[in-house]
Amino acid sequence: MLNVKDLQLHLDGAVILDKLSFRLESGKTLCVIGESGSGKTSLLRSLQGLAPARFEELCFEPRSGSPVRYRAGWKGRPGLPGSRWVMQDPIAALSPRQKLGVSIAESLHGRNIARQDMNKAVVDALQDVDLPAHFASRRPSEVSMGQAQRACLARALIARPDLIFFDEPLSALDAIVQKQVALTMSRIQRRYGISYVIVTHDLGFAAAYADWVLVLRRGRVEASQAASNFFNAPDSAYCKELIEAAEALGELDTRTSADVGRAEATA
Amino acid sequence: MSIAAENLAGDQPDLRSKGHVADVSRFVRNLAAGLLVLGIVVTGGFLFTPYDPITPDFLDRLAGPSAEHWFGTDQLGRDVATRILYGGLWSIGLALLITTFGALVGVIVGLAAGHFGRLADMSLMRVTDSFFAFPELIAAVTIAGVLGPSTTNMVLALILVSWMKFARLVRSLAISLAHRDFVVQARLNGLPSWLILWRHILPNIGPSLLVLWTNAWSRSILSISGLSFLGFGVQPPHAEWGAMLLDGKSYMQTAPHVMIFPGLAILLAVLSINLIGDRLRDLIAGPNGLFSD
Amino acid sequence: MKTSKSGHHLFVGLAGRLGALACVLFGVSLITFTITFFAPGDKAAAIAHARYPDTQSFAPEILEGIRQEFALNEPFFTQYYLWLSRFLSGDFGNSFASNVPVWEIFVSNAAETLTLTLTALVLGLICAFFLSAIAVWRPGSLADRFAVALASIGAAMPNYWLGLLLILFFAAHLNWLPAYGTGTPAHLVLPAITLAFWVTASQTRLLRSFMLEAKAAPYVETLRLRGVSEREIFFRHVLRHACVPALTMIGLDVASLLEGTVIVELTFARGGLGSLLAGSILTRDYPMILFLVLFSALVYVILNTLIEVVQDLLDPRKTFLGRHRAASSGGERP
Repeated sequence: MLNVKDLQLHLDGAVILDKLSFRLESGKTLCVIGESGSGKTSLLRSLQGLAPARFEELCFEPRSGSPVRYRAGWKGRPGLPGSRWVMQDPIAALSPRQKLGVSIAESLHGRNIARQDMNKAVVDALQDVDLPAHFASRRPSEVSMGQAQRACLARALIARPDLIFFDEPLSALDAIVQKQVALTMSRIQRRYGISYVIVTHDLGFAAAYADWVLVLRRGRVEASQAASNFFNAPDSAYCKELIEAAEALGELDTRTSADVGRAEATA
Repeated sequence: MSIAAENLAGDQPDLRSKGHVADVSRFVRNLAAGLLVLGIVVTGGFLFTPYDPITPDFLDRLAGPSAEHWFGTDQLGRDVATRILYGGLWSIGLALLITTFGALVGVIVGLAAGHFGRLADMSLMRVTDSFFAFPELIAAVTIAGVLGPSTTNMVLALILVSWMKFARLVRSLAISLAHRDFVVQARLNGLPSWLILWRHILPNIGPSLLVLWTNAWSRSILSISGLSFLGFGVQPPHAEWGAMLLDGKSYMQTAPHVMIFPGLAILLAVLSINLIGDRLRDLIAGPNGLFSD
Repeated sequence: MKTSKSGHHLFVGLAGRLGALACVLFGVSLITFTITFFAPGDKAAAIAHARYPDTQSFAPEILEGIRQEFALNEPFFTQYYLWLSRFLSGDFGNSFASNVPVWEIFVSNAAETLTLTLTALVLGLICAFFLSAIAVWRPGSLADRFAVALASIGAAMPNYWLGLLLILFFAAHLNWLPAYGTGTPAHLVLPAITLAFWVTASQTRLLRSFMLEAKAAPYVETLRLRGVSEREIFFRHVLRHACVPALTMIGLDVASLLEGTVIVELTFARGGLGSLLAGSILTRDYPMILFLVLFSALVYVILNTLIEVVQDLLDPRKTFLGRHRAASSGGERP
């Protein structure tokens, strides 16, 4: 449903992203892995039309609504219709003086929904991310990081997108909260059949949730493999090194606990 | 269930900031009460004095402070205390008017420069810089003087020389806010520009604007009095503090009270507004401030 | 490689600044000319009155002749162009009032103003330096509180009132010093003190906070742990490091200093550029007004630009940040 061919991004004469191609099937999870500065966030920005990327083709076919097919460059205003973006720092992503409910409802801007339906949608979305309804009237300064990230998730979810981009959604959170939010993400994906593109540098997380792995290094694709293949037989020496480093740090041990979580979520 | 677990895990909201909000709201209430008292004193005070601020009383000229005339009388026998109360309306009230208009112009220019692309930014900022290049009071004296000394021309002159600092502040805040994550989110959600400005940019500029506005207000009081003292502002017989100083200057040797009390009034008014401004700035931008992130 | 890059950076920054400066000066000239152009009243009559002070009324032919001579019948932009081209070629015009070149009047008055401003600046800076040093020596002490109070009061003090109070006490009451006028060094004392009081107040505020900041800096903490005496830390490190930012901050208040000078000159009935400006406004001497206002803007803009450049040169963090930002804009987050 998302198909990107030969995406390139040049800024001030520097090559940020070079010849990136990948595709993502409906309901699946693509993890984009790479060290900092490898162009992960630039990729997300390019896919939203926030960075002036060039490409041979950018094609997005949501299950409902008209497909988007751009050739050469982005056209129109930023934002891929039918998709939402959850950012790294949830507090920064929420307007500091706005109640969470208002921020969440803003995701439905331009859809002509009656006020009552809107309120109900907000409460439902909060429920989907395990937040009680009264959080709608809180402000970002009054909630924890984990709660804020859940609110951001609710903001993405309320629009019923077919694709959600995540930019290191867990890196601002504590370990236990990370796990809980990851479980919520996974449950939502199953319930609504949403595709995920998740930028991360956490191999453990990728091992637990990814269907497909895209490794970036200095703006180039280092590996593009199915997750199971990647962790057993990585395509390049660099990827092998990455996996070994993660193993040495014990990151990949979380794989087991996350698997348990996944089982829990399906049950 | 997971919420409970989350709280157990120590992922608590920052309570300090919550207490801080209470702190701010208490301060704002105190401020409002203080301003109300100030307002009653300057607007209502002269209604309760038995004297008229303008009508001369030639039998009682240049009398020193006494039980009847607390601050004495001036060269036309008018009660100085009454004139100071009445003059507060001119000095403080006109300063408020000028500052608010200046802020309004500045906010519009600043938002336009910060939000509508490079060309708008470049041209508007060059205009702002050009206006900014004049020392404020010198420009105001020139404009007010050339147009002819009157209160209206003074107000016009002071608005013309005071909007730029608001424009600069608003522009720089608007530009830095435009790249913040929550504004990017609003853009991606398809909000039109004006709605983003109204909902996301303006509310977050507000507190800094308030601090600058307070500073500009007290500065404006000094400017009004200065212009009136030089003869380019409020004209006699009206009792503006600077104009009263100008009157008192001629009778300084025989009746110093005519000159001392209006000056004291200016000093106290400016000092108290400055203190409010400092306190506001500490609350908003201090180490524990709302914007300390 | 690295140095050439930063040199390039500096050059581009300087060129940009000069370009902006040219824009601003153009804008300044346009604004100033606009004000005088749209001023109410008949300019021809003002010129005629200045030329023939004894004559009460003028024949229309004479006024028309003056309008022809000064191109007063031309449209706005023609007049502006004529004035600007003459101004740029160094012909600033003659004063309406005395028919003497504006430049000559300016030069004969500038010394008074410069003397007053510089005396007050030096005096105020010395006071501010000692006051803030004593204040920071023991924060929270009586001296510190005095310095803070003085800074607050100084910022709120109308300097014309302070001037009058000084006259009242030292000239009228004690009869130590002359109150009004110019001439002897004694005439300079009260105006200089008035202006210096403001300088002291505003600079004490700045210097004090810079010194407190320098005193709490991590490297000073390290020195303290190493056993360097408090006295040595204060004199060798705190004072020196607080001076650099403070020195560049002085310039930011050039505008207030110029304004203060104008008001103080008028309060003490001194000669000088401030009195000249006020007098010119009252007599509607437009060439003089144009020149003086443009001059004040020029001084202000040029000094501020110079100070920005000096700040860039002195502050390693600033250039580092600039480069850092440039690098990151080419990186992950444009």
